[in-house]
Amino acid sequence: MEINISILELFKILTAFVVCWINFVVVDTIFGLPKKPGVYGAEVIGKKIEKVGGNINGGYFMGNIVCSPDASAGTLFASIFYYVLGFKGVLIGALLIYIGNRLCNDPGYAGTIGTITAGILIYVFSDVLHLISPKYFIVGMVIAILTIQGLYPQLSSKLLGHIAKKLRVL
Amino acid sequence: MDTISLIILIIGIFVSFRVISTRSRSLKLLYVCCLNFVIASLIVLYVKSPMGAIVAIVYFVFGTLSSNAIANTIGNLKKMER
Repeated sequence: MEINISILELFKILTAFVVCWINFVVVDTIFGLPKKPGVYGAEVIGKKIEKVGGNINGGYFMGNIVCSPDASAGTLFASIFYYVLGFKGVLIGALLIYIGNRLCNDPGYAGTIGTITAGILIYVFSDVLHLISPKYFIVGMVIAILTIQGLYPQLSSKLLGHIAKKLRVL
Repeated sequence: MDTISLIILIIGIFVSFRVISTRSRSLKLLYVCCLNFVIASLIVLYVKSPMGAIVAIVYFVFGTLSSNAIANTIGNLKKMER
């Protein structure tokens, strides 16, 4: 098994990670995920994160991500459908995300809007500027969700609460 | 194996160890959500066709739905214990 890792590739992954992170955090925050838990399960997860030493609003944000496909899933599926089908695939992805949102009892605005904004960003970076191809956005989104949910929930919930206050959502 | 699959694979192994090592049931759901992202992207990178993308989105939506149900049940159990 031979593995070649070039600096240019790592730089592309890093840029895609930053673009995905900003897209999904800003869209989710504007649509009010940190303000209140959309479903009962999100409230449970938010309270648990507060109990282990995090921020309650960041906890609601993370609970809402776990309990319904929001802009985080939208960004992942925009890059996946752009990778296999091009820009028209993004619209199919937005429709499927909307159906998933309705199944999980959520209004579904954050998911669909997040998918479409992510699709436009990927279009600009891959087809207009010819810098980063869509598959780098897939791994960028996986790293972005790892930094929010997987590494250290206490710290990331504090960061998300701070961002929500800066954007004047709370 | 290219760099992209390798990075996603490393993240997947790391997160699955987090799932096993965490004691709290509610915090486990956060890592399971992260694992859902990893598996959905690995499906598409392996299959690379429109059908693969559909399979990934169906897997992801129903994974989220079951996380939703589990979180709901944990909350109800806590209410009953009181």
